[in-house]
Amino acid sequence: MDYVPHSQIPGHKVKQTGAVSLKGIKKQFNFKDRELKVLSEFSLDVQPGEFVSIVGPSGCGKSTLLRLIAGLDDTYDGTITLDGQRVAGTSLERGLVFQDHRLFPWMTLEDNIALALTNRQISKDAKAKLVADHIALVGLKGFEKAFPHQLSGGMAQRAAIARSLVNEPKVLLLDEPFGALDALTRVHLQGELQRIWLAQGSTMIMITHDVEEALYLGDRVVVMQANPGRITHTVDVNLPHPRDRASPVLHRLKDEILAELTNVPEAPNSVVRLIKGDDQ
Amino acid sequence: MTLKTLNLNAFKPVWLLGLIPPVLFLLWWDHEAAKGGANALAFVSLAQVGQALIDMFSSGELALSYGSSLGRALSGLLIGGGIGTLVGIAMGLSKPVEWAASPIYNSFRQVPILGWLPLIGLWFGSGDLSKLIIVALSAFYPTVLYTFEGLKQVEARLLDVGRVYRLNGWQTFWRIQWPAALPSIFTGLFQALAFTWISTIGVELLFSSGAGLGAMMQQAQLQARLDIVLVCILFVGLTGFAINFLIKRLSQHVLSWRSVRA
Repeated sequence: MDYVPHSQIPGHKVKQTGAVSLKGIKKQFNFKDRELKVLSEFSLDVQPGEFVSIVGPSGCGKSTLLRLIAGLDDTYDGTITLDGQRVAGTSLERGLVFQDHRLFPWMTLEDNIALALTNRQISKDAKAKLVADHIALVGLKGFEKAFPHQLSGGMAQRAAIARSLVNEPKVLLLDEPFGALDALTRVHLQGELQRIWLAQGSTMIMITHDVEEALYLGDRVVVMQANPGRITHTVDVNLPHPRDRASPVLHRLKDEILAELTNVPEAPNSVVRLIKGDDQ
Repeated sequence: MTLKTLNLNAFKPVWLLGLIPPVLFLLWWDHEAAKGGANALAFVSLAQVGQALIDMFSSGELALSYGSSLGRALSGLLIGGGIGTLVGIAMGLSKPVEWAASPIYNSFRQVPILGWLPLIGLWFGSGDLSKLIIVALSAFYPTVLYTFEGLKQVEARLLDVGRVYRLNGWQTFWRIQWPAALPSIFTGLFQALAFTWISTIGVELLFSSGAGLGAMMQQAQLQARLDIVLVCILFVGLTGFAINFLIKRLSQHVLSWRSVRA
């Protein structure tokens, strides 16, 4: 099948901004005298509007990597830039979706999303419109006044995605965004995320344990290994969006990646998800 | 399940059940009082208590004492609780303040509240100021503790969200830390309320000067007026009950965002 760059897909807005570049990232944690290398010489260039999935076993430093790009942790060696600007601290240009929704239980859905706009210098009306638009974007119209405990897991995660997008970030970082959801909701939200990405055009970097999810959504899949965390393999997924889950190309790639991750010559077809666990 | 199948709500006003023990108690009490003799010293008849209530009410004595106690408890709560909350916030938000204040707070807290009476009596006499200090102190301790604990327990995962959206210190406090700590702060307020009311009556009994329900009870005891003592006890109990009820309602209202399951 011929590769159709996402920029040529009708309706897909591609922004000229949102290029993320990681060069020679080294990160270690110190436990008393021992030092634990989490990331070693990690380099990656992400194009504006590209969707990059990162898969790897538990403890390979994927989540740490995302925290570094988000600016939640500034103690590392190497450089991270967004559109040539060095990343320092957090920024509204870099959105982040956590594995758990992290909505504030004391705020309504609407207020949770509006919180993200607290420090945007725009009028009240403009804020209200952005909030309403993004609630509609994730399909939660009618739930504006609901509290998080009144929402299902999938709805809460949609709200979290709306909150991260309401600032129209140049790049959206997703840390196993569907990892805590049941299988059906997960499949549904993957489709939703693809739709939102096509409509929004932000660069997306998604961490996941789920190889199928990585391939279904990513223009590129980066495969990592642990101890220390590094890239072992990059897979280009030359299929147009939106994709067909049943595509034989996806299945072949999945088997390849699983084989590499599990270190066996050929992985059984039924193994879809890797063993789940917490990353550093 | 079994409780549900019993369905106590079928007896619509369930609270009526709560009236059974006190009514039984009063019947027994009146029975003992009617025996006369030695019993009459320990028990007074309900009619007598009722008469005392009417007398105290019409003379304005009751209103004066009651108002004085209630005012003392509330101003103690406001002063002690207010300062306590501020100290708790300072300790919860700033490590240096925590390190500086923790040792002295934790050692002073070990002294029972009425253990301060002799010292405060010597310094400030046995007037209203001394009483107010004791009552405020009893509200101060739990509010400091629970405000501090509540702020300490705010999860880093929620604070990360604040960082991602670049909230400044003030915004982080009002939007995240304060509401996250509020359930704990309310627990402290509950305790503070119970302690202020108890210590109000206690300090009035011990200093037994000026107006107040405690002082009134002390006087009545000296005059062997058991009926007056009982009226006072009745008002002390009912007030404590009412205060608890109000705070419970307030916390339910303010914390309505919490899941019913939690």
